[in-house]
Amino acid sequence: MAGHAGSQDSKTRPGQRRMAQWTRDYARLPGIPDEYIGQDGAPRPAWARFFDAFAALSPADIERRFASADRHLREAGVTYRAPGETADRLWPLSHLPLIIDETDWRQLTTGIAQRAQLLEMILRDLYGEGRLVADGSVPAAAIAGSNEYLRAVCGVKPPGGRYLHLYAADVGRGPDGRWWVLSDRTQAPSGAGYALENRLVLSRAFSNLYKSMNVERVAPFFEAFRDALRASADRDEPRIGLLTPGAFNETYFEHATIARYLGFLLVEGDDLAVSGDRIHIRTVAGLKRLDVLLRRVDSNFLDPLELDASSHLGVPGLIDVLRKSGVVVANMPGSGVLEARALLGFLPNLCRRLLSEDLLMPHIATWWCGQKSAREEVLSRLDDFAIEGAYGRAVPGFPGSGPVLAGELSPPERERLRSAISDRGIDFVGQELVRLSTTPTWENGRITPRPFVLRVFAAATPNGWTILPGGFCRIADQPDARAVSMGDGARAADVWVVSDKPIAASTLLPAADTVRIRRIAGVVPSRAADNLFWLGRYLERAEATLRLIRALGTPTRDSGKGAPSGASTALHSVERIQRLLVTWGATSQASRANSAKVAAEALQSAEKFGSALSLLRSAQRTATSLRERLSPDAWQVITEMVERLSVEADDDDGIVSAAELSLQELASFAGLAQENMNRAAGWRFLEMGRRAERAINTARFARQFAYDEAGDEDLDVLLTLVDCQITYRSRYLVGPALAPVRDLAVLDPYNPRSVAFQVAALNEHIASLPSLKEHGLIERPQRLAVALQAMLTTAEAAALDVKALFALEQDLLNLADAIGLHYFPHGPNASRPEKLTGLA
Amino acid sequence: MIYDIRHVTTYSYESPVSFARCSLRLEPRSGDGQQLVSHSVEIRPKPAERTIRRDFFGTHTESVLIETAHRSLRIDSRSRVQVARQALARTAPSPSWESVRDVAFEASSLGPASPVGYVFASSLVPVLGPVTAYAAASFPQGQGILVSAIDLMHRIRHEFKYDPKATVISTPLREVFEKRHGVCQDFAHVMIAGLRGLGLPAAYVSGYLRTYPPAGQPRLQGADATHAWVSVWCGSEIGWIGFDPTNDLLVENDHIILAVGRDFSDVSPVDGIIVGSRKQKLAVAVDVVPVE
Repeated sequence: MAGHAGSQDSKTRPGQRRMAQWTRDYARLPGIPDEYIGQDGAPRPAWARFFDAFAALSPADIERRFASADRHLREAGVTYRAPGETADRLWPLSHLPLIIDETDWRQLTTGIAQRAQLLEMILRDLYGEGRLVADGSVPAAAIAGSNEYLRAVCGVKPPGGRYLHLYAADVGRGPDGRWWVLSDRTQAPSGAGYALENRLVLSRAFSNLYKSMNVERVAPFFEAFRDALRASADRDEPRIGLLTPGAFNETYFEHATIARYLGFLLVEGDDLAVSGDRIHIRTVAGLKRLDVLLRRVDSNFLDPLELDASSHLGVPGLIDVLRKSGVVVANMPGSGVLEARALLGFLPNLCRRLLSEDLLMPHIATWWCGQKSAREEVLSRLDDFAIEGAYGRAVPGFPGSGPVLAGELSPPERERLRSAISDRGIDFVGQELVRLSTTPTWENGRITPRPFVLRVFAAATPNGWTILPGGFCRIADQPDARAVSMGDGARAADVWVVSDKPIAASTLLPAADTVRIRRIAGVVPSRAADNLFWLGRYLERAEATLRLIRALGTPTRDSGKGAPSGASTALHSVERIQRLLVTWGATSQASRANSAKVAAEALQSAEKFGSALSLLRSAQRTATSLRERLSPDAWQVITEMVERLSVEADDDDGIVSAAELSLQELASFAGLAQENMNRAAGWRFLEMGRRAERAINTARFARQFAYDEAGDEDLDVLLTLVDCQITYRSRYLVGPALAPVRDLAVLDPYNPRSVAFQVAALNEHIASLPSLKEHGLIERPQRLAVALQAMLTTAEAAALDVKALFALEQDLLNLADAIGLHYFPHGPNASRPEKLTGLA
Repeated sequence: MIYDIRHVTTYSYESPVSFARCSLRLEPRSGDGQQLVSHSVEIRPKPAERTIRRDFFGTHTESVLIETAHRSLRIDSRSRVQVARQALARTAPSPSWESVRDVAFEASSLGPASPVGYVFASSLVPVLGPVTAYAAASFPQGQGILVSAIDLMHRIRHEFKYDPKATVISTPLREVFEKRHGVCQDFAHVMIAGLRGLGLPAAYVSGYLRTYPPAGQPRLQGADATHAWVSVWCGSEIGWIGFDPTNDLLVENDHIILAVGRDFSDVSPVDGIIVGSRKQKLAVAVDVVPVE
């Protein structure tokens, strides 16, 4: 296959030389088709065009662009979680796209659209009239064996008029050069959001190359999907929620991406409630009707009342709402039954019967052993098949979740497999072993063929099925591509559907496939508000801790003078700072004597729950559940702070400078929130959390350092902690005096760090929030805030003794609790639904 | 035989419950040799909403919504049922168990009476290798299904210990099987798991059992509880037959069927979700009194 790239210029132009070199080294796997090099040994035209342009970039430029793509992924926090792991993994992106020629793609899309329509028709019959089973077109056992066959929705007409709204198929190119279906995804297909991210990253990193390739854009597909979901609802401006299992799900990042991109509310089961014949979302303004639920929760977990009783991910009563046609659920619960491999072999006949057409796309030849003839076929040449579970991923009775290859089993295990198939053939299918095509990947400066699986997405629209031009491609690092899941060394790749003509001008506009961020729906779910409130509190508490650490490490004006000028029994200021850090759980008693040790622990200890690192980690955890509401920049700031503090500082200077850098970043987060955060997205709750926490901390600082006998040094520390050294000095020519310092820290309404300023801000926020009760009486949070503000407005600094400051602190804590109880009904004190127990 | 059945379920909560959504499956079914004469359910506190439907299995299911705060929930169900079953002789001829299995696999209905719905694992009854192997000892090659299933029932009755304190509703089948003890629900689940492991259709039946008083003593009121047993599909000719592994009995006129499903989770008489108390106490009292 060498030499085909040779033209008269190949010896002179470095790009073509590089390309010739790559091509010569590109060793196709024997007997396996390849995407780049065709059956005839020549590169396919679309790929040749890509590599022509790609090779024109210098090696250094290529590496720089790859690095920029990786950086973008890291900064945007694109992550996934492998099943069974607790930590997020960074998204491994293959740097070369999978390139598919437009003509080839059209064939694939026709096949996918036909298949989607066929599956929709089968679902209608299975959960409706049941003619296909009655006349033997589909064996009853092939359906009954799937735990996605939901008896609870038999006979329920799907609200919105259809079962499948989003369908996906895993495909690969077979030895005959055609695209083959490996499996169907009808439950809640994942990957479309990652496809979107991959496109964003690669089209930015190679913007000119991307533009020159005439790549079809993916944005119109998502818009069509969103519009179709809107149209499925029974009112004009429907509210659409994306139901996620929560931040611990392996594809949570994707749920947040899709929700943010399409303007859906990201909701968990706890956010929803059945009321009347409808589903409602709990918001800070009370229950709001939800019209459409795009679910990423499997059917069986959707309703603990009628389905899996142990589920905490669903909504009790959801199935009953479906019976009353009160909500559109996409896809309709029970749609997953068609993912069973047992059905594959029956599809060609079903297609002729239901659509009067031949099935366009072949799938891997599959024998369901529930039928005698198929079972005998499989048993007669057991080694020629991959044995798979007929319904789920696992093969019943055998470990792991992949296929079982009889040829690789020990003789007794092989015999066990054989008798299992003889006894309960209904549980097994035999699938033909096929090798799928490979695609180029970039490894160490050269291109290497690797097998891949492509997930193609189809959305149901009023005008038929729309296919995402591109998809989610997973590239394996092992020869059998069917085993590709993101868990094991696999990488993802962007998929470019390219045309040799420029694509229509209207869709060509942006160089990169930019994401148009939509306005988030104007309701704030209580859980999101709760998380925002706590995010604000964690960040503010971290800031206070960092300020204490900095004060500990920075000599004050009067340090070295020994004991404070007040009573001799009073503690030294440094000891007071240490004592505060101890009561906050930032450090332990043992290291109280050594300031440097205290500072290091309070800054970086992973064990102390009150350390700056722990607080920022709590903030990060909380922010994880708010991904769809925070800008990528804001997320990045939090991640960077956590990363910095996770690396141990070298010395005392390192500690102080790490604290200072973190304080700067906290300020930049506050700026981002102030300037970039949509006011409708719950910004007020982030602000309220921050204000409440700052008020509490400042009151506590005032009590600790502006106590009745406080000396200069103490007052100086307080001025530093509340950032008022300059203000104080510009107002008062004398050194720090008790009453003026107290006034500045607690009562001054113009000082953005005073308690009074925070309380005024809280009042303003509370007044702007919707009232939940209709009785016209003032609600508790407002009552407390207004009273506090009146008190702070009229108080005199001289009268603010330790006792008064302590009372103020308690009032502020009560106010924070009252806000929580009032707006976040599932706060820690609220009761959750519980299952009735007992054998009755 | 006509029975009057009273089935009272009482939940007591430590703190007030503000909301409850329940499913009740308390109306005995008609058919399978019994006829429902009358039925009523009284619920305290009074529900805001009561809706009735038949579920997939044909069970009369009542959805109840309670929105008043309460510290106790009392569900009082009264039924009168006439039972007239023709018992099958233990020695009656029956098709080989393998042929029953093969016919079940090829069924062409997904309906509630189709055997194919009862040959797969269900949420509380996994198919486990050791349980299948245990059951296989009662099923020598080519033996009739009736005599084989009777032998399995007999072995469970004699090799498992009846112990109401040993298990709770959530005790997994694996543990019940390893420790060889449990109550009627556990024995039914073990027998079902064994049969399904062999590919045989087995359903879970909830219901009531008339208990005879010991000689010379008056019948103890309220001593009874809800009962559970197994229904086995014995081929198209014989159909579904009831086996009570707790008592080593074929089901006849002492059993009153409440509901049939794949396992307990399909037929749970009272089920629901509450908002409120963490701690709750449950008391169930059942009386099954022959009227004539």
